[in-house]
Amino acid sequence: MEVYFIHLGILIGIYLILALSLQLALGYTGLINLGHIGFFAIGAYTSALLTLNGFSFLFAFLASGFIAMLSAIILLIPTNKLKGDYLALATLSFTFVVYALALNWNSLTHGPIGLPGIPKPYLFGIHFSSNLSFLILTVIITLASYLIIKRIIDSPFGRVLEATRDNELSTRILGKNTYLIKLYAFGLSAVFAGFSGSLYAHYITYIDPSSFTLMQLIPILTIVIIGGIASLRGTIMATIILILLPETFRFIGFSSSIVGPMRDIIYALLLIIVLLYKPKGFYGNVELE
Amino acid sequence: MSIILQLLVNGIIAGAIYSLVASGFSLIYSTNKFIHFAHGAVIAFSAYVLYYLFSVLELNFVLAVILSIVFASFLGYVMNLLVYKQLRKKHASYVILLIASVGILMLLQSLILILFGADIKTIGLIKITKGLQFWGVFITPLQILIVFLSLILLAGFYFFMKKSKFGKAMRAVSDNRDVAEIVGISSEKVYSWSFIIGSAIAGVAAILIGLEQNLTPTMGTSLMIKGFAAAIIGGIGSTYGAVLGAFLLGIVENFGIGYLPSGYKDAIAFIILFIFLLIRPQGILGIKRRS
Repeated sequence: MEVYFIHLGILIGIYLILALSLQLALGYTGLINLGHIGFFAIGAYTSALLTLNGFSFLFAFLASGFIAMLSAIILLIPTNKLKGDYLALATLSFTFVVYALALNWNSLTHGPIGLPGIPKPYLFGIHFSSNLSFLILTVIITLASYLIIKRIIDSPFGRVLEATRDNELSTRILGKNTYLIKLYAFGLSAVFAGFSGSLYAHYITYIDPSSFTLMQLIPILTIVIIGGIASLRGTIMATIILILLPETFRFIGFSSSIVGPMRDIIYALLLIIVLLYKPKGFYGNVELE
Repeated sequence: MSIILQLLVNGIIAGAIYSLVASGFSLIYSTNKFIHFAHGAVIAFSAYVLYYLFSVLELNFVLAVILSIVFASFLGYVMNLLVYKQLRKKHASYVILLIASVGILMLLQSLILILFGADIKTIGLIKITKGLQFWGVFITPLQILIVFLSLILLAGFYFFMKKSKFGKAMRAVSDNRDVAEIVGISSEKVYSWSFIIGSAIAGVAAILIGLEQNLTPTMGTSLMIKGFAAAIIGGIGSTYGAVLGAFLLGIVENFGIGYLPSGYKDAIAFIILFIFLLIRPQGILGIKRRS
C-alpha cells in the first residue's frame, strides 16, 4: 500500500510539472499549444538515450530540457505571426510526428520495442534507486519548477505575457516585442515539459512510443482547463484530483484494458462539461479570447 | 520509368481520399471559423460503423454504406447541436471551441477503443486482387473507383456551393456573418448544415478508406492532419485550394515513401505543412490577409 502511494506521489509530481508548464504557454500567454506531449516525449527520449550511452543524469536532465526548448522554438517560428489556429494545428501534428519518429526511427529509438533499462538517477553522489528517494527527488524538482514558474508569472515579464494574451496589438503599441515574448514563453514551457519527460523516463526505466500518443494530452489539457486559465493554485488542485480520480476505478475492479479508455472518456467529458458550464475553470480569472 | 508512374498513381489515389477529408474540413472551417479537430474522429467512427454493419451484422453492402454516411452526418449534427452551438450561445471564443473539439476527438477515439477494441479491423469486402496493369502500373479496380467517386463527389460539391441557394448562403455566412444575418440568412442554420454536409463527405471518405486499408482507432487523427495540411497548403477557406493541396500532398508523400521507410509518411506531411507555414502561410491559392 505504501509503495502504491509513493507511486501516485511521483506521478502527481511529474504531471504537475507538465500541467504547470502548459499553463505557462496556454493559460498565461494564450498560445494554443497542443504539442506538449511531443516535448514530454523528446525530453524522455533525450534523457534515456544519453544516460544509456554513459552520460550523467544531470547532463541528460538538462539536455532534455534544452532539446525540448529547441524543438519548441523551431515549431513556433513559422506560426508565430499567424493566427492561433495555425499554432494549434502545427503543435497537434508535431505530437503526431514525434510519435511517428519514435515508432519508426529504429536505429535511434528501437521503434515499438522501446528503450529498456534506463538507469535510476545518480546525482551528487546519491543514487535515487528506491521509490521513496525518487519521490523526494521528484518533490524537489516539482517544487523548484513551481517556484520558477511562479516567479516568472509574478515578475514584470509575467505581466507582459498576460498582456500579450489579452491584447497583443496594444502590447506591441507599448513597445514590447510580442513575437520574442511568445517565443520565450513557449520555449520555457517546453523546457519544463522536457524535464518532466526526463523524470518520467528515469522513474519508469522503460519507455516506448505508446506512452507518448496524442491521447496523453487529454489529462493535462483537462487539468489546465478545470483548474482554471492562469491559475497555478487551480492547476495544482486539478492535478491531484484528476490523477487520483481514475485510481478509484481499479478498486471498483474494471479490467485494465477498460481502465485506460474509461479514464480518457471521463477526462474528455469533464473537459467539455467545464468548457460549457464553467469556461473559466474553478480557480480561473480569465477567459481565453 | 514505371516506378515513377506507379508512385504518381499511388499519390493520386491518396490525394483523392485526402481531398474528401480536406473539403469537408474546409467547408466547416470556412463557415464556423474554428478548427474542428473532431472531424478526424467522425471519419474513424463511421469507418467502424461500416465495419460493424457489414462485417459483423452482415447487412447488405449498399445499405451499410448508406447507413454509415447517414451516421457520419448525424454525428456531425449532434456535435454541433450539443457542444458547439451551446458554446456559441455563450459567446465562447474560437479557442474554447477548438479545445472543445479536441475533447470530442479524444472522447470518440476512446469510445472506439471500448466498443471495438484496439486490434486492427478489416472490412474485407473485396478480395485481394492482383490488380490491373497499365503501362507497367498496378492499380486495383477499387482504387479506380476511389478516384472516380471522389472526383464526382467533389464536382457535385462544387456545383452545390456555386449554384444552389443554400451553397450561396453558406458562402455568404463564411464571408461576412453579420451582413448575411441582415439579409435574412440564419447563420445557426448554416453552421448546422455545414456540419451535416461536411461530415457526410467525411463519411464517404471513411468508406473509401475502410475498403482500402485496415481500421485502427487512431486512423482519423492521422487523416485529419493530412486533410488540414492539404487545406493549408492549398489555401485555407478555399475549397479548390483544399483539393489542389490534397493531390499535391498525396503525390509528394508517395514519392517520399518511395525512398524513405513508410513509417515516415506522417512526418512528410508535417514537413510540407511546416515549409508552407514558413514561406507561404496563405497557401497556393489563398489571398494574403493581415491578421
